[in-house]
Amino acid sequence: MKIQKLFQKTLVGIFFLFAVISLSTSALCIYTVDTHLSAEYESNSRGIAKTIADSSVDILLNRDLSALQSLIDQFIEIQGISYIYITNEDGEFLAHTFVPGIPTEIAQSDHSSRATMERHLPGMGDFVEVSSPILAGVAGAVHIGMDTGLIALKIQRAVGQQVYLISSIFIIGVFAAIWLVRLAAKPIDSVIAYAARLARERNKDTSDEKLLARDDEVGQLARLFLYFSMVMDFDKARGKPPGGQV
Amino acid sequence: MSGETNPDTRAEQTGLTDAEIVLGVSAAFSGPSRGLGIELYRGANSYFEHVNRAGGLGGRKVVLKTYDDGYQPNPAVTNTMTLVLEDQVFALFGYVGTPTVTRVLPMLKKFQERKAYLFFPFTGAQPQREPPYGDFAFNLRASYRQETAGLVDNFVSIGNKRIAVFYQADAYGRSGWAGVRLAMSRHGLEMVGEATYRRGAMFSGSMRRQVEILKQSNPSAVICIGSYAACAAFLRDAVDLGLEVPIANLSFVGSENLLKLVTEGRDDSQRYTRLLVNSQVVPSYEDTSIPAVKQYRELMDRYDPQPPSQLLKEDYTPFSYSFVSLEGFLNAKLMVEILRRLGDRPDRNKLEEAIFTIRNFDLGISERVSFGPDRRQGLQQVYYTVVESGRFVTLESWEDRFAS
Repeated sequence: MKIQKLFQKTLVGIFFLFAVISLSTSALCIYTVDTHLSAEYESNSRGIAKTIADSSVDILLNRDLSALQSLIDQFIEIQGISYIYITNEDGEFLAHTFVPGIPTEIAQSDHSSRATMERHLPGMGDFVEVSSPILAGVAGAVHIGMDTGLIALKIQRAVGQQVYLISSIFIIGVFAAIWLVRLAAKPIDSVIAYAARLARERNKDTSDEKLLARDDEVGQLARLFLYFSMVMDFDKARGKPPGGQV
Repeated sequence: MSGETNPDTRAEQTGLTDAEIVLGVSAAFSGPSRGLGIELYRGANSYFEHVNRAGGLGGRKVVLKTYDDGYQPNPAVTNTMTLVLEDQVFALFGYVGTPTVTRVLPMLKKFQERKAYLFFPFTGAQPQREPPYGDFAFNLRASYRQETAGLVDNFVSIGNKRIAVFYQADAYGRSGWAGVRLAMSRHGLEMVGEATYRRGAMFSGSMRRQVEILKQSNPSAVICIGSYAACAAFLRDAVDLGLEVPIANLSFVGSENLLKLVTEGRDDSQRYTRLLVNSQVVPSYEDTSIPAVKQYRELMDRYDPQPPSQLLKEDYTPFSYSFVSLEGFLNAKLMVEILRRLGDRPDRNKLEEAIFTIRNFDLGISERVSFGPDRRQGLQQVYYTVVESGRFVTLESWEDRFAS
């Protein structure tokens, strides 16, 4: 019974330990994935924006805007890219991928900024927008919006997988702990039973050779119990109170 | 000696046997725009059938090798590779759509040593009319720029200067949008609003958000650059939501399919069509005083051409006559004339030379056809049609019909 209580405390300890591990690694995972993915998406988007901007010069100067639309339509298929729009030097939209229309927030924003900006578009989600100038900005700019929801989804997936892994390890660990504790408790149970038998059946030959032969703590305890039993028997025979000077 | 074939010889030999001249087609035979590919094919086949039954060209039948691209760019590119590299067709003919053709054009440039020309695509976009790809395609129909300019000019002339655009969010829509923008800038105007939809939208889908967006700009006319399913849905929702302004469509829309969707099963269909105006790049198929129209109707009646059965995945009921099939018919008629001019031993290397001999050619419509190194579009005229008694007829007066 005492062993079970001890084990319960150990189990609670293990649970808290795993909870701490789980929370701390999840937090680290969120931070790492978010930072790396955001940086990677931004870097890729900047690269794509620059590619489109470089390709757009000839189209803007010499060709029909349908060729420009055809160009951006090919890039919108890349995962993570949610929208692309191209503005001229006056901020007029020349091509875009918005359906059913250009969001008011984007239509009314300043298109001359080249800084990375975060956008919340009602009904569409949250985005990080990067820009690249066309012909050093004198012919306009390419703007690309990345869906941060996709990053959140990837983080969610990574954290979920991690929690799943830790939970699996935790469950396996609990079963392993139960088995190990039972393994360890078996000789202790034997020594307790042996002590009880010594107390109950005094002056009889109650020695358990197998138990007494063990060279671990359990064997030492068994031998100690036998010794105390013999001392008590000896004191009793000499008329001394039990526990007196040996 | 090298085992490689001389490009000129290779170009000369392909797509030609003693019995056949094979033309390659990639078009929409499935999906919400299948009506366009099917009708264009039917119209062309009516004339090819006529020629083949009369003995063909120098004993060779004109045969169409067809593939379905569903009006999607990637299958169009794959089909073109197959047609050029594996089937080795004599020429490419009767492609459908801007997003498809604009993606195919670079491939034609890549295969320029094979002389794989594209004849008479069903699109009025600019990329196949101007450098760097204009040398690899020949167009018969007027361009979207001409269609949109005509619509804008006529709307402006009757005082409808607040023009908004509803368009497909791709190269086709952008081409029309750019045409409207250019035409309006000539009048010192700007479009007042725009709304888009995704290619492949169905009639059953809602266009209410698009209508609401355009209503906010308070337009006096809307020009639609889309395919029939989406434009019919837009027209339906616009009327239902009280956007009571003239709504125009370009020739690509497929007028009969649009009309069928909007009016089918309605008692009040006139309510939906009274402010509708569609530009066309061929004359009305109702006007039998036009020799080509008369011949077209005769051949359509006689042969009742059916779409290639192996490509049909969905039900489709063909129209007896349509603007799209009439365009296909005229395309085929001109193609046959070009092939005829190549002589008894057609040579792909001489295709361009042959088409440049087409000068003031009478195709059987009022406008004559000419081609040249700087003229890669045969027809320039745009026609305007409205719905009367459940069918499209030529618009007589913009003022009387639409003046506000």
